[in-house]
Amino acid sequence: MQIVIYGAVISSIYALLAVGFTLIFGVARILNLAHGSFYALGAYGVYTLTANARLPLWLAALVSVLLVGCLGVAIERVLVRPLRRSMLAVLLITLAVALMVEQVLLLTFGSEARNVPSMVDATYQLFGVDISGQRLLAFAGAVVVLAGLWGFLQFTRLGSAILAVSQDAEAAQYMGIPSDRMYSIVMGVSAAMAAVAGVLVAPFQSVIPSMGLLPLVKAFAIVVVGGLGSIAGSIVGALLLGFSETIIAFEVSIEWSQIVSVAAVLITLIVRPAGFFGKRAAF
Amino acid sequence: MRSQRILTIDWLGALLAFLLLAAIPLVFRSTYMLGVMTVALCYGMWAASWDFMSGLTGRENFGHSLFIGAGAYTAGFLNVNFGADPWWSLLAAPLVAVLFSLLMGFPTLRLRGPYFALAMLSASAVMQNLTIIFSAYTGGQDGLNGLFPMLDSVPAYYYLTLGFLAASAVLLRLLANSSWGVILRAIRGDEATCQAAGINVTFYKIASLMISAAVAGLGGALYAHYQLQVGPDLFAVILSINIIIMVYVGGIGSIYGPIGGAILLNALTESLRGLSEYRLWVYTVVLMIILFFLPQGLIAPLWRRVRSLFA
Repeated sequence: MQIVIYGAVISSIYALLAVGFTLIFGVARILNLAHGSFYALGAYGVYTLTANARLPLWLAALVSVLLVGCLGVAIERVLVRPLRRSMLAVLLITLAVALMVEQVLLLTFGSEARNVPSMVDATYQLFGVDISGQRLLAFAGAVVVLAGLWGFLQFTRLGSAILAVSQDAEAAQYMGIPSDRMYSIVMGVSAAMAAVAGVLVAPFQSVIPSMGLLPLVKAFAIVVVGGLGSIAGSIVGALLLGFSETIIAFEVSIEWSQIVSVAAVLITLIVRPAGFFGKRAAF
Repeated sequence: MRSQRILTIDWLGALLAFLLLAAIPLVFRSTYMLGVMTVALCYGMWAASWDFMSGLTGRENFGHSLFIGAGAYTAGFLNVNFGADPWWSLLAAPLVAVLFSLLMGFPTLRLRGPYFALAMLSASAVMQNLTIIFSAYTGGQDGLNGLFPMLDSVPAYYYLTLGFLAASAVLLRLLANSSWGVILRAIRGDEATCQAAGINVTFYKIASLMISAAVAGLGGALYAHYQLQVGPDLFAVILSINIIIMVYVGGIGSIYGPIGGAILLNALTESLRGLSEYRLWVYTVVLMIILFFLPQGLIAPLWRRVRSLFA
């Protein structure tokens, strides 16, 4: 039971990260290596807004997510757009952003871990398992954001426009959809989602400058397992990875669970390179 | 006729560069400087080997440190745990690195798209974690200490490293100029057409990755026997990234450019030692400038211009 509950919490956070990662790739073909930085920035944003600016926690969380979303838009406009012709240049520029963010965090906050207060202090009992309220909140928050994203994509004009661009950017352009603006919006949404994940886990994770790397590796693994560019695939992949990691962490050891993601990538690429839900074959 | 002459000038330039590097121990007596240069030469091997696979075929490897770390740890294990003679490292390290390249290359290089780049990135990050998980064998964060030096004197070791760098550079450049290199460049241009022309694209990509890994592993072993210590940092993603930046500074796809880029950036880092906290900043800014303003890099275009003065 413990495994089920903890697995669900981890999976929901992974899903939040991976869906954002796959969204920006699916729509704009941007493979965003700075995705983990947005996650780290979200966590540090809450930290600095509560500890230094003395904002109430919920407001700090909101402001932090919004700021990271705006940063995502700015990065897309200023740095990524001029280089979009070449996939490698995009990879490198997002990488440069990731390095820059890590350095800025290191220079301003130092390398020691920072503590962010929990939003919910109580501990609950669920099916006989003790679980901190913050973890439950993380699960609920992730589910709400994902559901919100789904509603946004399915039921709004803007959402349909984004889906249209992801299917065929050129055709969408002919229909009068400004695809460049869609890319900016999606980048902002994707960055904000990563920031939400960072904000939600900040109280029970160590907040350190290099915290963005591992989530990036995980998000990539999930996206490969689920199929690059597929949102449903990412959620299934997140569940698979989250649960298998939790099972291994409980049954074997925490350290070994790190290997799951890379093993999953390699196995998927050998057995079914397009991933579970990938529409296009990858080769 | 003209291309023949260009080739001659190229080799003369390479010879000149080699002689300049060989003269360094004669000019600078300080062991510290020589140590810095030895490390720079190791970086040169890593950058050149990255360029051979990724620069020529356009399949970017974001985890070159996987091969470097594999080579260095092989040297460390042989030396520290089994007490093997350090010279064995030079044979074993490339072999182990090649094994890793096969493991990574078979699943990922059959595919197009970003899989190879990202799988390499993940694999090196995980290997770094593994060295910490198995601290009983790898020494964890402290790494393996107490490797034996191969040669006692610093200048002699510098010459040994220079010799290996020169040999691998010549080998990689000859391969890149041969029909093999033409095929690799054709793969970068249009993989589907190559396949249609009956070229076994996957074979060429994996074989080049193996060569690249062998040189990187050898460089890793040389580095390990210079530092007399190996640590998890040798698997770090940031090392791979630094190498990519060096290749970009030098000029991608030219083999000699990345070596120059490696030496240049190491010298730059050294002269900025006072600002060591901002070192990564410098690298990042250099990378951005190159991406936006000098997509061809710095050293290779410069050399082409010099060459055109003579040819």
